Amino acid sequence: MKFLIDDLPIIFPYDRIYPEQYMYMCDLKRTLDATGHCVLEMPSGTGKTVSLLSLIVSYQQFYPTKRKLIYCSRTVPEIEKALAELKRLIEYRIKYAENEESAAKERNFMGLGLTSRKNLCIHPDEKKGNVVDARCRDLTNSANCEKGRANPGSTELCDWHENLGKLEPGSLIPAGIWTLADVLEYGREKGICPYFAVRRMMPFVDIIIYSFHYLLDPKVADQVSKEFSKDAIVVFDEAHNIDNVCIESLSIDITRPMLDSAVRSVTKLGEKIEEIKTTDAAKLQDEYSKLVEGLQEGLSEENDEDSFMANPVLPDDLLNEAIPGNIRKAEHFVAFLKRFVEYLKTRMRVLHVVAETPLSFLQHLKDITYIERRPLRFCADRLQSLVRTLEVSRLDEYSALQKVASFATLVSTYEKGFLLILEPFETDNATVPNPVFHFTCLDPSLAIKPVFERFSSVVITSGTISPLDMYPKMLQFTPVVQETYPMTLTRNAFLPLVITRGSDQVAISSRFEVRNDPAVVRNFGSILVEYSKIVPDGIVAFFPSYLYMESIVAAWNDMGILNEVWKNKLIFVETPDANETSIALENYRRACDNGRGAVLLSVARGKVSEGIDFDHNYGRAVIMFGVPYQYTESRILKARLEYLRDAYRIRESEFLGFDAMRNAAQCVGRVLRGKTDWGLMVFADKRFARADKRAKLPRWINQYITETSSNLSTDMAITLSKLFMRTISQNPNENQTGISLWTIGDIKKAQEKQKALGLEQRQQDRDTGGIDDGYDDGGIEDQMLIDLDV
Amino acid sequence: MQTTICTAKASYKKAPGLLELTNTHLQWTQDGKKTPAVRVPHAEAFSLFCSKDGAPQVRLKIGLVGDDAGHNFTFSSPQPISITEREKFKKEMTMIISRNRSASELAPKLALSTPPPAAPVSAPAPTASDPKALPARIATHRAASVASERRAATPVLTGIDPVSDFRLRKKVLVSDPELAALHRELVISGQISEAEFWDGREHLLLAQAAFENQKKGKSGQLVDPRPETVEGGEIKIRITPQLVHDIFDEYPVVAKAYNDNVPSKLSEEEFWKRYFQSKLFNAHRASIRSSATQHVVREDSIFDKYLEKEDDGLEPRRQVTGDIDVFVNLGATLEDHGQTGNDKDVTMQAGRQRGALPLIRKFNEHSEKLLNSALGENSSKRRRVDMKEYEYSQVDLDDLHDPEASNGIVLEMQDRQRYFEGRTNAPEETAEKLDLKSMILESKANLFNWESKLNQLKIERKSGDAALLSMTQNVAARLDVRTKKNDIPEGLFRQMTTCQTAANEFLRQYWLSTYPPTDVQTVVAATSAQRGAKAAKMIGYLIRTREKVDAIIRTAQAAGFDPNRIEVAMKPLLDSVNWALTSYQNRTNPRV
Repeated sequence: MKFLIDDLPIIFPYDRIYPEQYMYMCDLKRTLDATGHCVLEMPSGTGKTVSLLSLIVSYQQFYPTKRKLIYCSRTVPEIEKALAELKRLIEYRIKYAENEESAAKERNFMGLGLTSRKNLCIHPDEKKGNVVDARCRDLTNSANCEKGRANPGSTELCDWHENLGKLEPGSLIPAGIWTLADVLEYGREKGICPYFAVRRMMPFVDIIIYSFHYLLDPKVADQVSKEFSKDAIVVFDEAHNIDNVCIESLSIDITRPMLDSAVRSVTKLGEKIEEIKTTDAAKLQDEYSKLVEGLQEGLSEENDEDSFMANPVLPDDLLNEAIPGNIRKAEHFVAFLKRFVEYLKTRMRVLHVVAETPLSFLQHLKDITYIERRPLRFCADRLQSLVRTLEVSRLDEYSALQKVASFATLVSTYEKGFLLILEPFETDNATVPNPVFHFTCLDPSLAIKPVFERFSSVVITSGTISPLDMYPKMLQFTPVVQETYPMTLTRNAFLPLVITRGSDQVAISSRFEVRNDPAVVRNFGSILVEYSKIVPDGIVAFFPSYLYMESIVAAWNDMGILNEVWKNKLIFVETPDANETSIALENYRRACDNGRGAVLLSVARGKVSEGIDFDHNYGRAVIMFGVPYQYTESRILKARLEYLRDAYRIRESEFLGFDAMRNAAQCVGRVLRGKTDWGLMVFADKRFARADKRAKLPRWINQYITETSSNLSTDMAITLSKLFMRTISQNPNENQTGISLWTIGDIKKAQEKQKALGLEQRQQDRDTGGIDDGYDDGGIEDQMLIDLDV
Repeated sequence: MQTTICTAKASYKKAPGLLELTNTHLQWTQDGKKTPAVRVPHAEAFSLFCSKDGAPQVRLKIGLVGDDAGHNFTFSSPQPISITEREKFKKEMTMIISRNRSASELAPKLALSTPPPAAPVSAPAPTASDPKALPARIATHRAASVASERRAATPVLTGIDPVSDFRLRKKVLVSDPELAALHRELVISGQISEAEFWDGREHLLLAQAAFENQKKGKSGQLVDPRPETVEGGEIKIRITPQLVHDIFDEYPVVAKAYNDNVPSKLSEEEFWKRYFQSKLFNAHRASIRSSATQHVVREDSIFDKYLEKEDDGLEPRRQVTGDIDVFVNLGATLEDHGQTGNDKDVTMQAGRQRGALPLIRKFNEHSEKLLNSALGENSSKRRRVDMKEYEYSQVDLDDLHDPEASNGIVLEMQDRQRYFEGRTNAPEETAEKLDLKSMILESKANLFNWESKLNQLKIERKSGDAALLSMTQNVAARLDVRTKKNDIPEGLFRQMTTCQTAANEFLRQYWLSTYPPTDVQTVVAATSAQRGAKAAKMIGYLIRTREKVDAIIRTAQAAGFDPNRIEVAMKPLLDSVNWALTSYQNRTNPRV
């Protein structure tokens, strides 16, 4: 369908539109026009991505400015889905283009997705994460390429990468929309490297889709995202966990094995320097003189293939300074690194927990080793320069050293918003020390700050991002639009139920004190058993943590509860291994498609809960066992809570509650796609009955929790669920069109109404204005004066 | 070369023919044909049933291995001869079958410690509860009804032979007690025939047949032989061939051990005894509970060889290969960017509960195995073919498509040409008769001055009020009834219900016979004469309804209960009976 928002013609790739989608687009356009940031919450499954893309593509194609879109999502499946959505949209636009000219314009539209070397590698050799990466760098770095090209056969080269060089830059991939699978296919067909093809095509694309990290993690962002212009539109979809991604990208853990490995790497670098000194001393001299001039020049000719690591901090001005003298010479720098690693090793010998600020750490460091703050800040860049000069191969072996260097740079750059925590023991009752040095970022706004500063429009959106004001507070920005949309439904497509007690009236809760109580475990189990009896196809159950899930699965098996479930459905469980879980998921879907039905047990904020959808028959019921609170005994969490309280006045309990509820909402929200889809949402914990908890759920879920369904026992919930399923399985007789489904006519009606409202508003303004301008009679009319009996 | 042991004239599926028993096969040839239509090797015969002595038809049923329905033969010679013929077949077949049985029961059947008196492995003794044993009974029963009725047989579902049809009917009755009561009331008491009873209820039979024909998959439960404790503190595990099969299926390693060691090193009994005491068995039980008993378990030189390392690492021992569907690929997300951030806290580190991991993996594997057994290996390859469609199906919101815009599914039919020819001929003639012009004029005239007419239209207030009033009264009356206690004596009440249901059934039968037949599923469509006769019979029953009600009222009076209330309660029934009676009268002699 095609319609106008203000003067902008929108092409929407369906015949109908949900009212929410229309409203969402209007607000999005308002944000783009105002070149500001926004926070938008739209109910899960009401086609957020398609509305977003449809509006932005229309916007890009209509206005001559051609603002680029950087679309960030959380996971690779979600990236692939967004790409598929985009592909479908562009196909639709080509099909319904008014004339050949505009069709050609649509055909020239280019959208790509980017992910890691590993995911996009078609080299038949290695297939394991780190190794692919390092091997790829070995094969494709410029020194190696030069050598190989000058003297074929002297070193091994990557054919796919070489083939790219033969093509004209800018037309490595024809225009159009390419999903990750498409790019891989194309690469195989043409014999070119998909990863570098996408990387090199990035300046030419209209839309790039990749994960949050590529924009938020400075180590990655510096490499892949620095070329985007200021007017680009940035979208963070599924952004409810964005604060965690921000924090993660600036936090580092250091363990003793890592330090040992770092020592080995430093020694190796030292040997290499000695070797080069005898063979090619000029090289080192050359590097030295470059470093005197300053880092910026030193790194300017760097290209994608050579980057070993980037500076983990973003401030650009830092890079223009000259490298301090005491680490300019290669052998000095190696000695410097050695000293620093040794220092960290001695710190690890302490057998009690230490928490300190970066400043106190630096002070202590200086007292003991005389290492100053300034050279420490350049540690990461200096290492990068050295590695390149020495033409080191097998870079994966240097990853520990790289981490230590990043740590050095970060700790010496930021004074506020970070904390160092040394934990000598893994758990409280462990006796064998296994020290971990946590360098933890407490302030999510630090990582996202450059994004807000650099790009004029940043859109933060998700299905579950309530309460809305939390995000601007935590991420320190001012949105121009902040909106949440209710879900318009002609009939209740989902039924949220809060089960607070079992059929035997024992209260159920995942509270730490009672969660392993046999009565609670059994009652949780009987919820699963009862639902497996009555719900068709798929049931997804979420637990608050891996630890709890693993222990409860074992307990259920021993209590014979799972045997009851086996009678009705197959059982799949999330495992620690991602690929293994993927296979289980695939089988789960097959079982749902086949009608056998299955139960999937997984963990809230775990791998499955992010980015896997359980729409239609893949999830007719979600059961949330317990409230997914974070582990409050964690020192890192405690530090973060303290920081939030002191810096932003967010109370601990408020944040914990908010965090638990957004994850719960995220889990249950995954069952819906479209308004004919239906599902049960079961919250099994007595704490969900509390009004303050429920208030933190997104409005579109909360509005359908009735008073009766907010405090149920298992048997009552089963009765309600049966009733719900009986009604929902009827053919919907009433027409949804006009209420929860708009045709083009309904849009026009809404727009006219809007206009009329606007006019009225203006009229009113003018009316009141007229009076104000006139003589002030103190609100007493003439007639009143006449009537007044004096 | 085949030698014939005995022969007899017998009909099969109502066709006359010759039944022969040779030294290898039991075969039946239809009269006038050369090749036998039924040919059962001896080895396949599994059970044998005969009709009762004295039954009007002499029948023999052979049940086959894996097919309880089997074959049904009716000896068509005159009575005394056919019975002797049957006896001869019976004798021979019994021998063959017992030979077959003993062969199939060779499967291992023993128990740990003390070999128990092995539970009878699916003893096919024809007991009353066994549906297979029923043909004899039904034969007599139906014979009676057939004799008294003109309709040749009960409504037979297409493609189902009478025996299994009977079985279906029985199942339906067993599962629905109310229907069974009605059946007892009417059919067994002889008021209406079996055929009439089921007439119009074929859907129940069809549903039952569909339910039975549905291919059942394997049960999902894990193989977990639970030991029972007998007195003296000994533990006993009962081994059935089924359990052995399940264990071999679930744990191929046990099958391997069995092949390697039985009977060369261990006897069958020894093998199971040691298996259930071995570490291997405890590993297979894969439960936290078993780890507690681990140190009690003795070393076993044979079984410990087959013990695999526990699969409790973070990565599974069995590495996955092949592509993973991109929309559920969690690994790709993991590889999408380098590891960042602090480690997860203890509760969020997957796999810390080491003991649970083998269990979890076992669940996933077991589920996958079950799926594969039903669906074949993962069909991901096939899906790849239409990647684009698959991609779109993952993001499509189907309710946003205009339903009218879709083209629908083209109906493919044979001889479409002919179908349309046949159709278009008839309506064309009628269409020509319609005069469009006059129709338009007429409707125009009708519509003339519609506005003023509409204005004049007044809805009488009184009737609206009256309707509302009557509705209120109705509701009030219902409420009244609800609030009042049901104080009709129980015996009387039961009488009333029986009378009611019986009369309802007669009514149903009556109306069924008066309306044109719609059901296509009955093979035997009754002729109109038969239907007329049936209607007359039903009316005969219905006329008596009045007497029955009167009888109940009299009983009520005798019991000192207000007869008016019974009258009121039975009134709707009597009304509908009267309605049926009048309609019958009108039909039979319209002039009156």
